[in-house]
Amino acid sequence: MQIYRSHILVCGGTGCVSGGSKDVIDEFQKELERRKLDKEVLVVHTGCHGMCELGPIVVVYPEGTFYCRVQKTDVAELVEEHIYKGRPVSRLMYAGSEEMPVVPHYKEIPFYSKQERIALANCGYINPDNIDEYIARRGYEGLGKVLSGMTPAQVIDEMKASGLRGRGGAGFPTGLKWSFCAASKGDKKYVICNADEGDPGAFMDRSILEGDPHCVIEGMMIGAYAMGADEGYIYCRAEYPLAIQRLKTAIAQAEEYGLLGQNIMGTDFSFTVHIKEGAGAFVCGEETALMASIEGRRGMPRPRPPFPANSGLWEKPSNINNVETWANVPRIMVNGAEWYSSMGTDKSKGTKVFALTGKVKHTGLVEVPMGITLREIIFDIGGGILDDKKFKAVQIGGPSGGCLTEDHLDAKVSYESLTALGAIMGSGGLVVMDETTCMVDVAKFFLTFVQKESCGKCPFCRIGTKRMLEILERITAGEGKMEDLDTLEQLALMVRTGSLCGLGQTAPNPVLTTLKYFRDEYVAHIKDKKCPAGACTALVKYSIDPAVCIGCTKCARNCPASCIAGEVKKPHVIDSEKCIRCGNCKEVCPVGAVSVE
Amino acid sequence: MSEITLVIDGVECKGSQGDTILQVARANDVYIPTLCFMDGLTPIGSCRMCVVEAEGSNKLLTACTSPVTEGMKILTKTDRLIQYRRQILELLFAGRNHFCMFCSQSGDCELQRLAIEHGMDSVRYPFLYSDFHNDASDPNIQVDHNRCILCLRCIRVCSEKVGAHTLDLEKRGWGTTVTADLGQQLGKSETCVTCGACAQVCPTGTITLRDFVYRGRRTDCDSQVETLCPLCPVGCKIKAYVRTGSVVRVEGLSTASADGGQLCSKGRWWLPSSTERERLAVPMIREGSSFREASWDEALSLVAEKMTPALESGKAGALISEISTDEELAVMSSFFRDTMKMDKVDGFYGNQLRGFVEGFKPFARQGVRPFTGAHHILESDAILVLDADPQEEAPVVASYIRVSTIIGRAKLVNVSSGKNPFEGITDADLRVSGKEMKALLVALREGGAGGAVPENVKGALEILKGAKKPIVVLGSNLAKTPELVTEALNLAVACGAPFDDGLAVVPMFLASNSLGALNTVTGGKDWLSEGDLDFLYVHSTGMVDEDTHSLNAMTRARFVVVQTPFMVHPLVQMADVLLPVPAWFERSGHYCTLEGDRRKMNVVVPPQGNLKGLGVIMKELAAKLGRTLQEASTAPCENVYVAKAAPDKAQIVTTKEVR
Repeated sequence: MQIYRSHILVCGGTGCVSGGSKDVIDEFQKELERRKLDKEVLVVHTGCHGMCELGPIVVVYPEGTFYCRVQKTDVAELVEEHIYKGRPVSRLMYAGSEEMPVVPHYKEIPFYSKQERIALANCGYINPDNIDEYIARRGYEGLGKVLSGMTPAQVIDEMKASGLRGRGGAGFPTGLKWSFCAASKGDKKYVICNADEGDPGAFMDRSILEGDPHCVIEGMMIGAYAMGADEGYIYCRAEYPLAIQRLKTAIAQAEEYGLLGQNIMGTDFSFTVHIKEGAGAFVCGEETALMASIEGRRGMPRPRPPFPANSGLWEKPSNINNVETWANVPRIMVNGAEWYSSMGTDKSKGTKVFALTGKVKHTGLVEVPMGITLREIIFDIGGGILDDKKFKAVQIGGPSGGCLTEDHLDAKVSYESLTALGAIMGSGGLVVMDETTCMVDVAKFFLTFVQKESCGKCPFCRIGTKRMLEILERITAGEGKMEDLDTLEQLALMVRTGSLCGLGQTAPNPVLTTLKYFRDEYVAHIKDKKCPAGACTALVKYSIDPAVCIGCTKCARNCPASCIAGEVKKPHVIDSEKCIRCGNCKEVCPVGAVSVE
Repeated sequence: MSEITLVIDGVECKGSQGDTILQVARANDVYIPTLCFMDGLTPIGSCRMCVVEAEGSNKLLTACTSPVTEGMKILTKTDRLIQYRRQILELLFAGRNHFCMFCSQSGDCELQRLAIEHGMDSVRYPFLYSDFHNDASDPNIQVDHNRCILCLRCIRVCSEKVGAHTLDLEKRGWGTTVTADLGQQLGKSETCVTCGACAQVCPTGTITLRDFVYRGRRTDCDSQVETLCPLCPVGCKIKAYVRTGSVVRVEGLSTASADGGQLCSKGRWWLPSSTERERLAVPMIREGSSFREASWDEALSLVAEKMTPALESGKAGALISEISTDEELAVMSSFFRDTMKMDKVDGFYGNQLRGFVEGFKPFARQGVRPFTGAHHILESDAILVLDADPQEEAPVVASYIRVSTIIGRAKLVNVSSGKNPFEGITDADLRVSGKEMKALLVALREGGAGGAVPENVKGALEILKGAKKPIVVLGSNLAKTPELVTEALNLAVACGAPFDDGLAVVPMFLASNSLGALNTVTGGKDWLSEGDLDFLYVHSTGMVDEDTHSLNAMTRARFVVVQTPFMVHPLVQMADVLLPVPAWFERSGHYCTLEGDRRKMNVVVPPQGNLKGLGVIMKELAAKLGRTLQEASTAPCENVYVAKAAPDKAQIVTTKEVR
């Protein structure tokens, strides 16, 4: 085996690839060859590091030096300085706080230091297209352990003891779910991986599939062994071409190694796995809709019972878990249930991956132990609010989740606590909002999404969300009435209880939580005809402070509606009637004379 | 099945394991409103109207999908539930353009009925007046999406009962609509079989059938009569709606029955439209190129006068429609065979029937019933279609085949000389010429033991070998070669999995009462093609077109008497005397159906005016001929393929003795 003195890990996740990491890899290769260093230094493309905002990311080992925003043009310098002369390039390092202006090492970056990476353990460390690297990091050891020394019942007991709960959103105990399917009689059973990640802003499943596809496959195999299944489906959305490609490679490699197929590891256990590409319907993340879609029918949920454990895919007993859940399974088998359950809270064990986005300094993927507070995630890991504005709310759990306020920042994150507050864990989207975000607008945004994605089957979801949306549209247009709030709340509660599936049942959450925690904003829209955050264009008014205006004419020149009048060096005036509230004037004003209210 | 006791609205009810709350409630006369639910279709719990509360749970359960459990305490009429139901109705009403006063289905509409029932006198949301498509592309079926509530009944009946799966949903969210094929208008659909089942199940005025829509709502009709459709041997049970003496609408009887309450395009449109056709009301006698009205006495005297010499010279024949009831066939048989001792008596489909009978003979001799009820196709796991085109021959059988294949996941093998009638859903498709057919059937039966099997046959062979309950559908064309019929039955015997009532074979007889005709009017040989006749007595029901073979014989005959309810062309042109008879809706009697049972046809509209029943006509004619109408010596359907031996005792026969 070839030994290298140094490894250059370049992120090959979707974010970094679109940032140009493929070129960076090629450039490294060329540069190393030119300097005849290619026998000493190995360039590896890895999965996602999570800090996509700073991509493309390059990590140089053995030092663990972390470089961000590396472009093709930086490569020559990096090779020259760091690799050849041994002098790390501080210019490309992570910029830290005042006391530590440059943070050279991966582990010292606050974004990573509070994380506990289990599902993401290999993301960013290994080449996802190389099964050997996965095996070298204890890959397929869990499967080996299970096949060589555990009965299916023991595997399920271990899963139950680990306390792992479904990471897709609902948080149903995984071990218990498996035991239902295992107890179900049938000559044919299926295990299914739900990789139809549809929440806007969530991308943990994509990162796992792109960065560590084998762990999902291994997890499914362990589950299949425990439940007596021999065939699996990975339902992956077609918008994830890189994930699908890496899965295909992983499956081919596992098959070549005899880790997939007939009589795996010389035992009676056989397993094959298929990839089914979804066509981009949010509702297909619902398990019964997902199975209908695999069967070739329109993806629409059906009422349960019968539960998939008894009658699932093609009416056979089936078990669906999401990508992150499956990814945890091999690690639990290797390290034991006790290790896993030592993390987290009383009822929510282990870790959870969150997609941190919105008005936060460091957006990206973070994996944290359950029980961590929202404050730690947003302020310690995320680095606080962008431009040091004031924190207003955080939306948890995607479009079906809820908005929590400053008061909830010290709540410990767990399935129970979030549900009690009116949000849900969901798949783990965390959208941070600051004072410039209008909460009515946020509710409208998420409702627009679920309304469009409703499968159309039940009236509450199909028509109810539409009517709710209309009310929100009226309110944000300044045409709301106070009784609208009652109608909205009543209808929202009925949609929540009356809808057929999880999509409809959780669709009103953003509305209900904002009504609960930010009712004053709704009232301001209706009574004062004002949007306190200045986000609802119909309700804002732009004006120029004559005392500040220097008459530079920049605003007038940039106004697309030509509604700003004024002579040079004299104060300008905006004609509110004509103004289309695009905000161009405010953006271009050199002295900050334009104000919004 | 273990019994379950539960309490619904304070009433103790008993149900069985697996029953839904709705089933138990209905069985115990507890009313729960439903909208998307329909007996016989998969319950989907989508409209949410049937939500009920279970004590101890905050969740709302849909009664149509939730199974009962021991000790459940169900409430169906709480204030909360009534609020929910009313909310749903308001959402549905305001959701699309439901303006009852402009809707043809007002009064027949289930949505409207529920709204009245729930006291929904106003809607708290503004109407959207959204502009959904009004699909008028199909000449028979109109789909106004503005009135659709997405109960999905049409989609379910189309895929679960008709097996066409023409209809499904497109788009998501608010704009979700029912669509045909992959986003086509219905009229451009390639899969629609125009059976009208979708309109029958539609609870609102969305899918309507143009022929019936303004002729009378169900509730406007004077009477509804259960009867059967006499157009093909399936004999679907129907409900005929009568208004001011006309049949204005027919519907399949029950979605819960094996046929799913469907009708085919023939039954759906031909039956009601026939009440509007030109009737033959009085006897007529030819005068040159036209007819003149005559009295019964004059007409029958003329018939008798022409018939007598022809009888003596042996040049008198009778051609009887096999679409007649058992009773009519018995009368005809007693008149022509027993009273007049004629040997030239036959049905329009005599040749085809004789072919089948000949092919069946070796098995009939063994005492085995050589075919089974057509609905057994739904229970089979492999279907072999032999030179058949069921969509033409008996369309509901085609539905059975599609449903069994698509929903029941049966394997489908087509063997034909022409096109594959089930293109796209067949698992193996073998095209053979008529000559190769026998060898193929033998090869399939012997399972490749007889030597090398061609590659394309292997697939079919695998399917038959792997099947637990295979069934063979015999095309009417096959009857031309009785040997092939026998070989097909041999194959069914070799598969070794007959149904309780007979061999796993479904023959495509063309006439609806072929089995009734066998004993009564079907002749021993094809005399129709031989030489010319001096006298030909034709009994037609006027429901299906006469074949050229029969028409040619009529052209050649010197004197033709035609008995028919309608002025059917070209039939009436052949006649010298026309005698009126009651039409299908004026008759009663029995049919021996392909489904294996004897079904009753009832009088839908009583006959009017100068009409005489067939029995009376034949009796009077016999009197004119100086005879007394004899008792029929044979009874229709009696001893016709009655099983004397268990079907699994059937032996394979050699086909040498078969023509």
